[in-house]
Order: sequence, then structure tokens, then C-alpha cells
Amino acid sequence: MRDQARAIKDETLAHLDRYLEQFAGNAERAGARIHWARDGREVSNIIIELLHERNAKRVVKSKSMATEEIHLNDALEEAGIETVETDLGEWIIQLAHETPSHIVVPAIHKSKKQIADLFVEKIGIEPTDDVDKLTGAARRVLRQRFAEADAGISGVNFGVAETGTILILENEGNIRLTTSLPKIHFALMGIEKVIPRFADIDVFLKLLPRSGTGQQLTTYQSLITGQKKRPEDEGPEELHIILMDNGRSRMLAHPVTRQSLACIRCGACLNACPVYQQIGGHAYGSVYPGPIGAVITPQLIGISKATQLPYASSLCGACREVCPVKIDIPALLLHLRSEIVEGSASGSVDEQGPVKRKFSEHLAFRLYAFAWSRRRLYEWSARIARLFQRAAVRQGRIGKVSGLIAKLAPPLGAWTAGRDARPIAPRTFREQWRADSEIK
Amino acid sequence: MTETSLEARREILSSIREHLAESKRFDTQDVHPPTTARRTTSKSVAGDRDKPVIELFRHALEAVSGHCSIVRTIDEAAQAVQEIVAERKASGPPATAGGSDSHSRRVAVSDSALVRAILGRVKTEAAFLDSPSQAELFDCDVGITCAQWAIAETGTLVLESERERNRLASLVPPVHVAIIEASRIRRSMSEVLELIKKSDVGLSRAVTFITGPSRTSDIELTLAIGVHGPGELHVIVIDEAAPPA
Repeated sequence: MRDQARAIKDETLAHLDRYLEQFAGNAERAGARIHWARDGREVSNIIIELLHERNAKRVVKSKSMATEEIHLNDALEEAGIETVETDLGEWIIQLAHETPSHIVVPAIHKSKKQIADLFVEKIGIEPTDDVDKLTGAARRVLRQRFAEADAGISGVNFGVAETGTILILENEGNIRLTTSLPKIHFALMGIEKVIPRFADIDVFLKLLPRSGTGQQLTTYQSLITGQKKRPEDEGPEELHIILMDNGRSRMLAHPVTRQSLACIRCGACLNACPVYQQIGGHAYGSVYPGPIGAVITPQLIGISKATQLPYASSLCGACREVCPVKIDIPALLLHLRSEIVEGSASGSVDEQGPVKRKFSEHLAFRLYAFAWSRRRLYEWSARIARLFQRAAVRQGRIGKVSGLIAKLAPPLGAWTAGRDARPIAPRTFREQWRADSEIK
Repeated sequence: MTETSLEARREILSSIREHLAESKRFDTQDVHPPTTARRTTSKSVAGDRDKPVIELFRHALEAVSGHCSIVRTIDEAAQAVQEIVAERKASGPPATAGGSDSHSRRVAVSDSALVRAILGRVKTEAAFLDSPSQAELFDCDVGITCAQWAIAETGTLVLESERERNRLASLVPPVHVAIIEASRIRRSMSEVLELIKKSDVGLSRAVTFITGPSRTSDIELTLAIGVHGPGELHVIVIDEAAPPA
């Protein structure tokens, strides 16, 4: 199944231009309007212009990582359009003025108590710790927002080239409301979301829920093909599908980076990642967190702006094991690291050009590699370091002890901003081993 | 399409072509293929192969907290609908917004002939609204529609918008009752995808797959039922061959 899904994605990406044109043509024949956008600013402009033309002021939104990626809400707010997130988790973090920490469960970093306090403050409910009551309160408030909305904005999980259908998965029902109640529906779709055939839906519907939430199938799937034909039909009068590049087409330039576009945003790699489990989603400082975030963010925003992300991994490979489309994330991380270090000589993912490494840093790492790959020199280096640290060690730590953390003097101070520098042990393991063997 | 959008289209498509061409010289190279060695062939649920689809459907639906009743005739279906509507009345105030005045139960219904035939035999003082306004719909306690297909393996209902007005009645009220004829239950998703694509009314503008009641785990990963959509899902299967209850 995973091989099949990956094969479908690979086939699509290898002919992405053709499948996108086919998708756009069929969606238009069914009555949808297609827009193309090179970047996030163009997406916002398209939506804002259409909303202004129709004098629409209130928008309901369902969860979409693509809209998070381009900070659509900020742009809408600036244009005087009121935007309400309707996915429960997204709405909670919108009320709290925060950003998602997980791509499937955005408010996973908040406790029940924090959410209850937030609801008491913002929507004036009685204090409670009952999850059903909190959910019920959200339902009541959001129902009102749905009733008032002029337009709905959603993402797209898959776009079927053969029929021009967009497919959106969910559990709550807010996507169905967003895409069927308001008069206008905007669907934002990354260009990599296209799949060739209607029958391919079967494969991805079997994979995405199992990898994302462990369900056999999410509660709802909406398959939307164009807009309604007769005025008496249900559903929006206008469907606008916006096809967004925003750095994606660049990733096609190399088979390793191209894999990133096979991602179906299930979040399985986040859940499996030991680093994500320790530091949480916000520590990545990017819209897409976790292992997949560490590989797609540098490619989307430019590698020189996210040089640390490809290092935010221990390369343990858990992400590769769980990935339903078999993306080799460790290989991608290594590829990006080598681009950062070597400067991208070929197949540049980064239009800003290679990242220059300081000569001194380069020399230091060469010396380090030379010395530590030779046993005698390695042992010598430990002895010399022990000699030098004698002056600096106090209370078993290096540097000036203040509070919990011992600080080092600049320029090494940056290392100890959030942690101790541990001194080298008085005897190395090898020395101990040798001594112990002699006793026997 | 605006001038900017046309220009964007040209540029995106040519960027795709350029970068794909650039990739050609690497495509023969070894690119660290995924190392997972073990390859399992896709296997279907073996024990379920011989189970009759209706039983399989009921089992899967109940596993996702849906209710299933199997009846033999339209009269029995009407009886089942009547009980669900009556139960709803007994179960306290409606969960709809606005706290409207104490009214008799309101039921939003689709325009399907089968639903009409059944409602004609239901004895209740509840009001049936077959094309409610949006405001009326938000005040309804129950929604009744048909399902055009069902997928037995997953307990999924499939609704086609070209067959009936079923998008909102199945979604907005806190209780959804779906009626389906046994002959329209298929074993797998792929069979149903084939049927809706080749449908004689054409592929519907909106096809909705429904598997159980609306749910979320967004607060501390605790399951809550009925967040935006219905909190209760009742499916009534009409199977003439079913043994008498």
C-alpha cells in the first residue's frame, strides 16, 4: 500500500505540469474558477480582491496548513476582513493568539484547564473541566459565525486530475459547513496535491487517516467537483480553487528534494520523532514543525533563512519508518546539511545562493577531524584540555556559577546561554579501562 | 482569469518543466532509496471475506459509535424513525443555538422519494421541513436523508448531491437519520468510487462520505462526539430478505 501510494505520487510529480493542467481544465469544465499564484502574497491578493468585489466581510476558515504557511489570516485582517477559524483546535489557538504546535492536533500544547480559562475569559462560559461542555460551548459560538459568514476558506488534501475534484478530509464537520453554507468557497491547494485518477482516492483514503489519527477512515470526506448547476441546489454559488507554488516547483530539481512534495501532511513523523516529543512544535520556529517541517521549511523559505532546522534531528530514522509515502527524511536532512556546508554547487534549492562557511570554522573542523581520527593525538588532546580547564573548573562545573547554569566568558558564552558546559572527566574511560585491566 | 493569474500560470508551469529537466541528470543516480526492506502486499481483512455485507456494515458502523437498525419494510422503517424522533423529544432540550421557544420537534428532511414515503407513515406531532431556510435549519432537532451507497468494510455512508438535497440535513441538526436499501451496500471503497464516477446522473457536485458521528480530540486528545456535525448517527437499512425482528 505504501509503495503504491509513493508510486502514484512519484508518477504525478514526474509529470506535474501535465496533471496540473488536466486538473485545472476539468475543474473549470465543472464550473470551478481556477487561479494560479506564485507565492503567498498573490494568494492573499486574489482572495482579498474577490472578497472586496463581492462586498464580503466575514469569513469562516477550516484548518489548512497551506493558509498557515502564507499567514493568510494576517493579510485578511489587514484588509479589514474578519476571519474565524472553525476547527476546534485552530479556534482555541486563534482565541489565545498563538500558532499551531502540531499539524493535525494544533492545540496539543494546551491543557484542558488552560482552554477552560480561555473560554471563561473570551466567550464567557461558566468554569468547567468537562471536555464535552467545552466542545458544546465552541459549537454554539461557532454556529453563529457560520450563519453570518459571507465566504468560506478551506485547504485541499487531494485534487483529482481526471475529474477536477477536490477532496478534503476531517472529523469535526466544520469543513462541510465551511464548504456548503457560505455563498463563496475558496479552496487553497498546493500544486503538489494533485493525484491522477479518481480511483487513486482509495489508496490515499486508506493511508492518510491511519497515519494521521489512527482511524480507519476520518468521519467525513467531501469530494467537491465544481459548483452547483441549478439555483435551487445546495452549496456555494462560487467555487474558487487557488493553485499555489510558493517554492514548491523548485523542489522538483533533484530526486532527493522532490520527495518532500509526496508528503500528505499526516503528522505521523511528528508523533514518532524523539526530538519533537522533547521540544514540542513551537521550538522549530517554523509553520511546519517536526521532521517534515525540518526538511520542507528550508526549501520553502530559502535554506539560508533556516540553516538550523536540518540539524534539529538525531537522524534516528523513526520518521522514515512511519511515513505512509516512504519519504526518506534522514536522506533529505543530510542532503540539506550538505547544501548548507558545501554551498549548493548543483541543483540549487535555494535561490539566494550557497551559504558561505567561515574559513576559521572550516579550519577548526579540519583540525578536529585530523586529530580525533588518530588515537595518540586524541589522547593527547584530552590531556591538554584537562590541563587547561583546571583554571576554569569550579564546583565540578566550568565557568562562573550563577543561578542554575555556569556561564562561560564570551565568545563561548553563547553555548552556555541555556545549559552547563560539563568539564572533561579527570580520567578518560580508556584510562580507567587500562587501569582496571592491570589490576586483574 | 486575471492577467496576473495567467502570468503566474505560465511561470509556474515553466518552473515545473525547468526543474524537472534539471533533475534528469540525477535521476539515474542512486538517491538513498528508502531502506525499509520488508514489503507486505496489500491484504484485505481476511476473516471478513465471507461475512454478508450487511452484517459487516453494521459491525463497522457500531465500531465508530453509529447506531444501525435493520428493517424489512417501509412500514418498519417508519416505525424506527418514529422511535428515534420520540426518543429525541424525551432526551431533553435541543442542542441547537439560540435557545428558541419550546417548540415541538422540528425535522429537516431531504427531497428523496423514499424519505417521503416513509414520513407519510410516521405518526408524530413533529414538524417536517423539506426545504428549510438556513435559520430554520439551525433550529432543527433531527435531519433525515437517504444514503445512495454504503461501504461495508468501514461503515461509511455515501451521499450524492445530484440524487437528493442531502448536504445540510445530514450535517446541521444534532441527530442524523440515514435510510438505505440493503442492495446499495458494497463491500469496499473502490467499488463505490467506481459507481459514483460512472453514475447515470454524472459525478455529483458534492459527494459526502460519512463514517459515524462528528468527533474531535482537539482538547487533550480526549474524544468528544458531536462538535460541528451531528452527535448521533442512526442508519436504517431496509432489507426485504432480513429475518423478522
